[in-house]
Amino acid sequence: MFDRYVGISPKGDLLLLQLLAAKLHNRSFLHINSTRAGGGVAEILQQMIPVLKELGIDVRWEVIEGDPVFFDITKKVHNSLQGNPEKITDKMWQYHYETNKKNAENLNLDADAVIIHDPQPAPLIEFKKRGLWIWRCHIDMSNPQMQVWNSLSRYIKKYDATIFSVAKFARAIPIDKFIITPSIDPVSEKNRELTDREIQETLDKFQIPLDKPIILQVSRFDRFKDPVGVVQAFRIIKKYNDCLLILAGSPAIDDPEGDIVLKEVKEYAANDPDICILLLPPFSDKDINALQRIATVILQKSVKEGFGLTVSEAMWKGKPVIGGAVGGIPLQIIHGVTGFLVNSIEGAAFRIRQLLNNPELAREMGEKAKEYVRNNFLITRQMRDYLCVWYFLGNKGRNILEL
Amino acid sequence: MAEIIQSFEFKQCISILKSTGRKARSLRDLRNVIAVVSVECIFHHTYQYFLKGHILEYTNDFAQWAGESLEERALSEQLSNIDPYDFRNIDDLRSKLLDVIDDYLKEFPKPRETIPGNEFFFNETMTLIFPVGIRARNLAEFLTAIKYIDAGSIYYHFYEARIRLGKGIDDFSRWIEDVFGKKELVERIRAIDPFMYTIKRIRAHIVESIEDEVRKDMEVIDRCLTGM
Repeated sequence: MFDRYVGISPKGDLLLLQLLAAKLHNRSFLHINSTRAGGGVAEILQQMIPVLKELGIDVRWEVIEGDPVFFDITKKVHNSLQGNPEKITDKMWQYHYETNKKNAENLNLDADAVIIHDPQPAPLIEFKKRGLWIWRCHIDMSNPQMQVWNSLSRYIKKYDATIFSVAKFARAIPIDKFIITPSIDPVSEKNRELTDREIQETLDKFQIPLDKPIILQVSRFDRFKDPVGVVQAFRIIKKYNDCLLILAGSPAIDDPEGDIVLKEVKEYAANDPDICILLLPPFSDKDINALQRIATVILQKSVKEGFGLTVSEAMWKGKPVIGGAVGGIPLQIIHGVTGFLVNSIEGAAFRIRQLLNNPELAREMGEKAKEYVRNNFLITRQMRDYLCVWYFLGNKGRNILEL
Repeated sequence: MAEIIQSFEFKQCISILKSTGRKARSLRDLRNVIAVVSVECIFHHTYQYFLKGHILEYTNDFAQWAGESLEERALSEQLSNIDPYDFRNIDDLRSKLLDVIDDYLKEFPKPRETIPGNEFFFNETMTLIFPVGIRARNLAEFLTAIKYIDAGSIYYHFYEARIRLGKGIDDFSRWIEDVFGKKELVERIRAIDPFMYTIKRIRAHIVESIEDEVRKDMEVIDRCLTGM
C-alpha cells in the first residue's frame, strides 16, 4: 500500500511518515466515526488505515451504532453547526449521550491515541480510559448556531486537542486547535492515472466529441454549486469561443430541491447541443476522472462550499480550475497562480475566455495546480499530519522538535 | 591518510498549523491582536510566509491581508518592506509592525472592515525537523542533492537557517565557506535575495552557481596552459 505513493507524494512526506511510524511503532491508534461507507471521512479512513497498519502502527477503526432517532438528531446538530437554524432540545442531547454510552459499553476504547470524528461520537470522551483524545471536526463551523455549539463544546473541552480543516472553522476553546486540511488519494479510482483506452471508454459511453474545447463542472445539482450560473457563463463565452459545456453530477438524493435545480438547469440549457448534462450514478469515479482529464477548463463555481475537495481533484489532473471564492476553495486556488477565483457569472465567463484563448497560460496554471496539490492536499500529507499531532501532544510544551 | 571532509547533512522541516482562536475584522483589530499574540504567531505570519512556496503580491501575511481584504494598498506596501531578518528578535519585529500600522491609523483613522469570512485568522505553528537521509561530501554530490531534495529542505537550510545563524547567513553558504573556503561562491549564494524569489527560483540560482564552480574546478585547460 505504502509503495503505491512512492514517486507520487513528496519524498519528504513519505520519509517523515516512516520516521514517525518508527517512533510510534506498535502504539495503538483508534479512529471512531459514525459510518463505514459513504462520505469523505469514511473514504479517507478506508485508504488511510491499511497504510498506517503497514507502517507498523497498531491502528483500528470503530464505527458507532445508532437508531434513526439518533441519526436524525445528529443530522440536525450537523446542520446547525453549519449555520442552519435547528432546535436541539435537552432530551435530544440526552439521547445523543445515551446512545454513545451504549456504544462505549461495546467498543474497545483503550488506545494510546484516539481520534473521534465529528459530533456523532463526541460524547465518547466521557468514557475515556487513557491515552490522548483528539476531536476531529470535518464540518464548516465558521458560523455555527451558538447554542448548539455551546452544548456540544461541553464534551469538546474535555479532549486533549481538536483538529479543524480550516482556520476559520476553528472555535475559540481553551485546548490546542490544530488545522489539518483534508486531502485526496492520488491512487484512488477517482484520481489515478488513466490509460488512453480507459479515457476513450468514457468518451464513447457518453458520446462526447473532442473537436472543441471542453468546459466541465462536476458537482451535485444543488443551488450552492450554481449550475445555472455555469450555463449563463457559458452563454456569454459562446459569443466568442466555440466550446462544449459538460455538467456532470448526481442528483442530490438527500436534497428535495435537487430535482427542481436539475429541471432549471435543463430549461436554461434549452436543448443546446453544446451543453451536455450527465446524470452519473453512484460509483462513477473512473468516469469523473476521465472527464476531468479531457476537459480544457474545469469549474467549481460554488456560491457556498465546505472545503470543496473536488477543486483539488481537478487540479490534480493538471487542469486550470476556476472556483468561487468561498469556503475552502481559496486555500486551494491561489488566484492567478494555480487557478482563478471568481465572484460572479461574468467573472467566471471572463476567466474561461482568458484560458481558452491562452493555452500556454492554461498549461502553466495546470502544472502549478498539480504541484500545489502534490505538496499540500495528498492523503500522505494528512496521515503525516495526524502522526505529527500525536507526536507533538506526546511532547507537550515544545513547539520545535527534531527527530 | 585521506583528508576527512565534513559532510553536509540535509534536513527538512514541516510545520503543523495551530489556530490561536483570534481573528481581526479591521486594521485596528489586527493591530491590537498583533500586540498580544505569541511570538510563534508573529513568526508564522512573517518568516514562514516563504514556506508557502509561492510569493504573492506582498511579503508577509499581514501585508497580504491588508492589501487583499482591506484594500489598504499603501499600508501593504509599507508592511511588505519590513524584512524580518533585520531584527534581533521577534518582539522587535512586532514593534516595527505596530509602528507602521499605528502611523497609518493616525493618517487614516477609519479604515474599512473586511466582509465576514475574510477576517484575518491568527495562527501559529509547531515545527518538526527531520533528516532526509541525504549527505554530500563534495560540491558535485551537493549539486546532485540540491536538485533532488524537496522544497521544504531548501526552506529549512536557506530561510530557517537565517534565524538560527543570524546575519543573513544560510546553511549552504556556511558549509561551503567552512569546508572549501570558496569565497566567491559563498558571496554569490549570499547575494540571493530571499525576499525576491520563490523556493523554486532559489534552488535554480544555487544550482547555477554551484554548476559554474564545479565546471571551473573541472576545466584544467587554463591551468595547463599557464603551466607551459
